[in-house]
Amino acid sequence: MSDSEVTTEIAAEPLDGAAPETTQETEAEGTREMPPVVADQVDDEVAPFRPSIVGWLARGAVWALLAWVVFAIPGNYFSPFELGVSDVGHASKAAIFAIIGLSLNVLIGYTGTISFGHQAFVGVGAFVSAYVIVDMGLEFWLAVPIAAGVGGLQAALLGAISLRLTGLYFALVTLAYGLFAEETLFGITAFTGGEGGKNVPRPLGFENDYTFYYLCLAFLAVVLWVDWRLMRSKGGRALQALRENPRVASSYGINVKVYTMYAFIISGVFASIGGALLAQQSTFLVPETFDFELALIFILMTVVGGLRNRVGVVIGSVIFALLEEGTLVHLLHLEGILDSTIGLPAEFFGLVIGPILLLLTITRFPGGIGQQIAPLAQWLRGRRFDPHAGKVREVEVSDVRA
Amino acid sequence: MTTELGIAVVNGIFAGSVYALVALGIVLIYRASGVFNFAQAEFGTTGLFAAYAGVVLWNLPYWLGLLFGLAAAVAMGLATERLVINPLRNSSRVTLLVGTAGVALAAIGIQFWQSNEQPIREMPKIVEGVALQPFGAAITWQHLITLGVLIVVALALAVFFRSPSGVAIQAAQQDGTAAELVGISVRRVSMMTWAIAALLGGLAGVLSGPNLTFTAGHLTFGAGAALLPGFMAAVLGGMRSMPGALLGGIVVGVIEQLGSLSLFGYMSGGGEMMLFFFLLIVLLLRPQGLFVRKAVAA
Amino acid sequence: MSVLEARNLSIHFGGVRALDHVTVQAGEWEIVGIIGPNGAGKTTLFNCITGFYQPSKGKIRYRGKSITRLPVHKRTALGIGRTFQNVGLVKNTTVAENLVTAQHLEANYDPWAGMLGGPSTFAEESRLAERADQLLELLDLSDVASARVADLPYGVLKRVEIATVLATDPDLLLLDEPGSGMGPEEAHALGDTLLGLRKEFGITIVMIDHHVPLVTQVSDYVYCLNFGEVLAEGKPGVVRNHPEVVRAYLGEEPDETDAPAEAASEEYV
Repeated sequence: MSDSEVTTEIAAEPLDGAAPETTQETEAEGTREMPPVVADQVDDEVAPFRPSIVGWLARGAVWALLAWVVFAIPGNYFSPFELGVSDVGHASKAAIFAIIGLSLNVLIGYTGTISFGHQAFVGVGAFVSAYVIVDMGLEFWLAVPIAAGVGGLQAALLGAISLRLTGLYFALVTLAYGLFAEETLFGITAFTGGEGGKNVPRPLGFENDYTFYYLCLAFLAVVLWVDWRLMRSKGGRALQALRENPRVASSYGINVKVYTMYAFIISGVFASIGGALLAQQSTFLVPETFDFELALIFILMTVVGGLRNRVGVVIGSVIFALLEEGTLVHLLHLEGILDSTIGLPAEFFGLVIGPILLLLTITRFPGGIGQQIAPLAQWLRGRRFDPHAGKVREVEVSDVRA
Repeated sequence: MTTELGIAVVNGIFAGSVYALVALGIVLIYRASGVFNFAQAEFGTTGLFAAYAGVVLWNLPYWLGLLFGLAAAVAMGLATERLVINPLRNSSRVTLLVGTAGVALAAIGIQFWQSNEQPIREMPKIVEGVALQPFGAAITWQHLITLGVLIVVALALAVFFRSPSGVAIQAAQQDGTAAELVGISVRRVSMMTWAIAALLGGLAGVLSGPNLTFTAGHLTFGAGAALLPGFMAAVLGGMRSMPGALLGGIVVGVIEQLGSLSLFGYMSGGGEMMLFFFLLIVLLLRPQGLFVRKAVAA
Repeated sequence: MSVLEARNLSIHFGGVRALDHVTVQAGEWEIVGIIGPNGAGKTTLFNCITGFYQPSKGKIRYRGKSITRLPVHKRTALGIGRTFQNVGLVKNTTVAENLVTAQHLEANYDPWAGMLGGPSTFAEESRLAERADQLLELLDLSDVASARVADLPYGVLKRVEIATVLATDPDLLLLDEPGSGMGPEEAHALGDTLLGLRKEFGITIVMIDHHVPLVTQVSDYVYCLNFGEVLAEGKPGVVRNHPEVVRAYLGEEPDETDAPAEAASEEYV
């Protein structure tokens, strides 16, 4: 979407003149402890912001544009250019990566547990669903819940271990687990097909790359819904409390052990769903796909996207999925520039730029992409355009448990 | 069976000497910065790529190529300290961990990019040929040199940490503020530690590289992966003990080789399986490390 | 029957005896004050009662039921709520969200159903939010409801914390220095609040505080700890004038704010 469209609309909106008087009123009523910060927020409540008609139209236009990009273009509907099968394949991959990013966000963002073995979580989902479909001859619709169950179970086992170890040591265990899964578990030929790989047929009605994209999108929508409800219900709040302070959490009556397992199971289930879809998307499944490099990329996209920021994580994941193999660079027609200036071929763009983005995120912009787009996201929800919206005041990545 | 076990142990000791070099660097950095340095093995791969460039691509004398490789590793270590560790010094340890993982991935990305034309490379050995064959295990001169370097490095570190500057480093690691008060620059100590650690990583890279063909990320997740074994060795030493890390490296090397015994039916990934379960057992039963008498707070 | 009965509690850390055969009781509807110099073992006592520490000796009973071996969250479920010396709140969220989080056990639905967005969870969520609002209003905190905890000053947080513990629906409230960081006037207002809360909720309160005037104002019974032992116990006036207490803890003459504080407490009790 275009930025100019957004900014012109802001200028057109009338200023909210009611604010100054109301501030004074509330200050007079306020108790003596009330700090100035609060006064601002109270004033927001007194005079709720309502966008003008122009404002609503502009917001509607941006929403429509977003919907068009997400829903129409990959299916070649109302699209000025024809997308090829491989490009749509990348779009499916982007949706799957978004699911995986949300899965990792549950662990790193919500519970503050780092995982260097997330490729194993995804791989377990992929191989279990492939096994169910190919070797047991069952339907895809049965394979997904089975894969999710197995994925949740292995995550729960790892979660039980995490209860006994502090952050850094648990990070080592996940690293070892990832390598163990990659080399040992996925090396079992009877289970994974070994080096020869496995060809996983897609479910009826979604064989075609265009329809398959919508299937991935539907799964992403379900995961987004669950993630949203999670953070708005007691489970998510429990996770948040115990990430920040397990003692306070338990004094609220939260069972720390149970909820740590809860988070691991959710993350494992999300990752398995992502894995099951990935097995279908690549159509040819080999163990080498799930190597340590992939685990690092998962961490990159989640942290750069912005921990605990649903939209940010999705955008970060999509960007990194598209950076792989250089799709994004091709789409933006940048390959010529990159190749001629610094001799960087498009397929390595993600690998070289990604880590730099990560380092910038943790040192300079702790809120990640989610923070950068927060003003826009707020505006789209019908609030005032505030350049400081969603500002992360502290290094949020750093409250990961150590 | 005995022969098989003998081969595993001998191979394990020589593989373990590489792990010990990596582990020493990990311990040094953990003591200085309190971080698990996920880029430690990448110092090695970077050194290896640089040494390869010197020796093979530019036809430098071997020793000069090695020197160039080690210099590249040290430069990377210093850059990591300045650009990532120092800005994040007030962040949590796990943020630092993600930072070092980012450094590793950046190095790997650049290696992939630079080796695009020829992804699989082979570094010539310092001295070609097999030196010994105990139990029928082929021990090359390269292996012997690696073990020799490890012993020299260990002795040098032991001497260094008893010298005035070594004592200063340890003082600064114990209590930064107090060290500043008596005139030790914590900043210099931190950079010095990272340089030494990167040098150790570089040595691991240039010495183990010629054993196999190598690709980008060789020491992190490639054929010569030494990152996880190095960490395990450091954990066995309680993360703070250098002799413990040294011994831990050898032990981990042997344990990993045991995974290749016919007992496991030559399954793939036997070594990784041994490592994973060994790490679990060590961390769950003796988190303070195997070779330390007193518990050290993590 | 007493609500809380901690008998002969002993615990040591290394060579330091943090608690040595300490016996503390609190009856129904009582407000019990615990005073003592820093390091006397007051917070350690709370940590034993709430389950963060396991005493090496002694028994803890809550309404006649032994809770010595129960984990923290189960003690909360029985009705023991506590505040922390250095403010126990989730700092990255708002005050209102904290109160909703603290109603973890109140939320009458399964966490899995909540995650999937079951229809009943929506109704339950709005009920929790409403209850949070009511509690905030009761403690005169409605204006800070949407403020982020990390942005609020210490004195306000101390009150927010009390509101948060009340949200866990306790029968026994353990307050760790609720008046710290407050001036005499604010501390006095806090005393009134505590007395009001007892009336409103019918709860028993055990309170650690350094503000002797505050403790005297509200307490029915006072314990003074020193070096992990009970130095003196009894009615506030008695303990305050106990020669050993004066020597160990007060070390100074009773200050002027005492007299009006006492007068105020009589009005309420």
